[in-house]
Order: sequence, then C-alpha cells, then structure tokens
Amino acid sequence: MDKPEQTPFDQELAAALRRGRAVAVAGFAERVVGAVRADRRRRAVVRWSSALAAAAAVFVALFTLPAASEEALNRQTFALVARDESAQLADLFGAADDLSLLAPVAERPALVETFVAPGS
Amino acid sequence: MSQEEPMLPDDEDDKRLMGLVAGGDDDALRLLVHRHHARLVGYLRGEVGSQATAEELAMEVFIRLHRAAARWRPEAKLSTYLIHIARNLVLNEWRRRGRKPTTALEFAPEPGDVSQGSARRVAELDEAFQRAILQLAPEQRTAILLVVQQELPYEEIAEIMDAPVSSVKTWIHRARARLRELLKDFHDQA
Repeated sequence: MDKPEQTPFDQELAAALRRGRAVAVAGFAERVVGAVRADRRRRAVVRWSSALAAAAAVFVALFTLPAASEEALNRQTFALVARDESAQLADLFGAADDLSLLAPVAERPALVETFVAPGS
Repeated sequence: MSQEEPMLPDDEDDKRLMGLVAGGDDDALRLLVHRHHARLVGYLRGEVGSQATAEELAMEVFIRLHRAAARWRPEAKLSTYLIHIARNLVLNEWRRRGRKPTTALEFAPEPGDVSQGSARRVAELDEAFQRAILQLAPEQRTAILLVVQQELPYEEIAEIMDAPVSSVKTWIHRARARLRELLKDFHDQA
C-alpha cells in the first residue's frame, strides 16, 4: 500500500479521525436482531397478501367473470330482440325492412297485383 | 451454534456466519453485528456527522445484509461489503432529503484515552477536523474517511466506491489539500 509520507498535519488528521474509528453502541446487536425479525414478519405478510390477492384474482377469473359475461350477453340479446332495434332503425330511414333494401328492383307480377290490390 | 467450534480468522468466520444467517440463524447475525457494528457506526458518523443518523443507517445496513444473505457470494470481505452498502445508503439519504450532512456535531473523544488537561484541546481538534470533513465533496469525504479513519488499502476503497484506484488517489489528495485550507485558521490559532 503506497501512502504518502506523513506530515504533522496528516498525523493530526489521522489521530483525530481514528479516535472516531470505532463507536461501539451498547445493545446494538439486539436492536438489529429485533429489527430483522420485524422485517422478516413484514415481508412474510406482504408475501402472503400477494399470494392471497393472486389467488382471489384467479378465483374471480375462473368462476365469476365467465358466468357474468355469458349472462350479460344473453341479457343483451334478449333486450335487442325485445326492442327490435333493427326494425326501429329501418323505420327511421323509411324502409319497411332490411329485405326491401336488399331486394332487386322489379315490377310485381300481375297475379300478385290482382290479389294484393283490392285489399291493400 | 456450538460453543466449541474451532477459531477461524474473522474473514473465514464471517463467511461461515453468513451461511448461517441465510438459514435464519439470529445468533449468527448477532455475532456478525457485534463484530462489525462499531467500525460501521464510526464510518457512518464521519459521513453524516450525527450519532443518531449513523445508528439508523447502520441498522438499515444490517437489515439489507440479512435480506441479501441467501444471495451473498464471498467475493469480497464482509467488512468491505458492509461499507459498500453503507455508502450507497448515505448517498440515497442525501438524495432523498436533498440536503448535505449536518454540521451540528455530536462528537466527544473516547473517555480515558487522554489526560484531563489535554481533553479539551483534543475535543476541539477532533471537532474541527470532523466539521471540515463534512464540508468536503462526497467522494473526497468517503475516500479520506476510508483511507485515514478506517485504514483501508486503496484497492479496497476503489471497490467500495466503484471507481478506479487513480480516482481514489486523486480524491484523497484533493481532500487533504482542502482540509489543510479549511483548518488553516485553526492551526494558526493553535
């Protein structure tokens, strides 16, 4: 270890600093062991909480979410059928139904005219 | 742990104790703390200028040591590893608080090491040096504390500070020059 030659100033500096080199604290080891035990317990609680939260999330995903979405889908379907929104939309645009929009433009056959005209 | 185990050099025994700490042995931890805490608190007090903060940080160092025990590989001496953790905590502490070390020192010489007549002079000298140390740049302060107070070799200081040996020597040289400047008035009075 190559260290520079010690001047009187360096010697004073060394003496002053070395007096504070080691500061023994009574009961420090016990305090550390207590703090470490508390830290160990705290981390165990955090670990278990995380595991429980993950398990709860899996439970919800497995049993709750699919049932709810199936039920919700059914509800939506029934509601659509009941309200017949497509028909309402067609009415709004003045069309009788979707088929009338898609049907090719053609004159009614004469036979149909015969049966439809008097009653309609 | 058995009371009749063979005596090992401290470094080897530290490795053995760390293995036991990793397995949850609190008695082994107690022994390690007992062996290393005084120098760690001494170093930290030099860094932060406060006994209470030094003890808090030393406590945190040992908690982190315990958490890392299972992953610890004995590539360096345990004392080097402890000071490395301590230095990182000191840097984090200043970053978190956004302030520099306190200059309100709680420093007193160890009782019984000087005569009563010169105790006051020694206390003044120590306080002046400690106050000057706290005014150094962080790298200079750490380097001078580790080389002068803890008497560590340059290579070990470089390892602790994650820096080349040449940088460590530069910091120490600058720290000495700055301390001479800061303590000039004190020496002139003396």
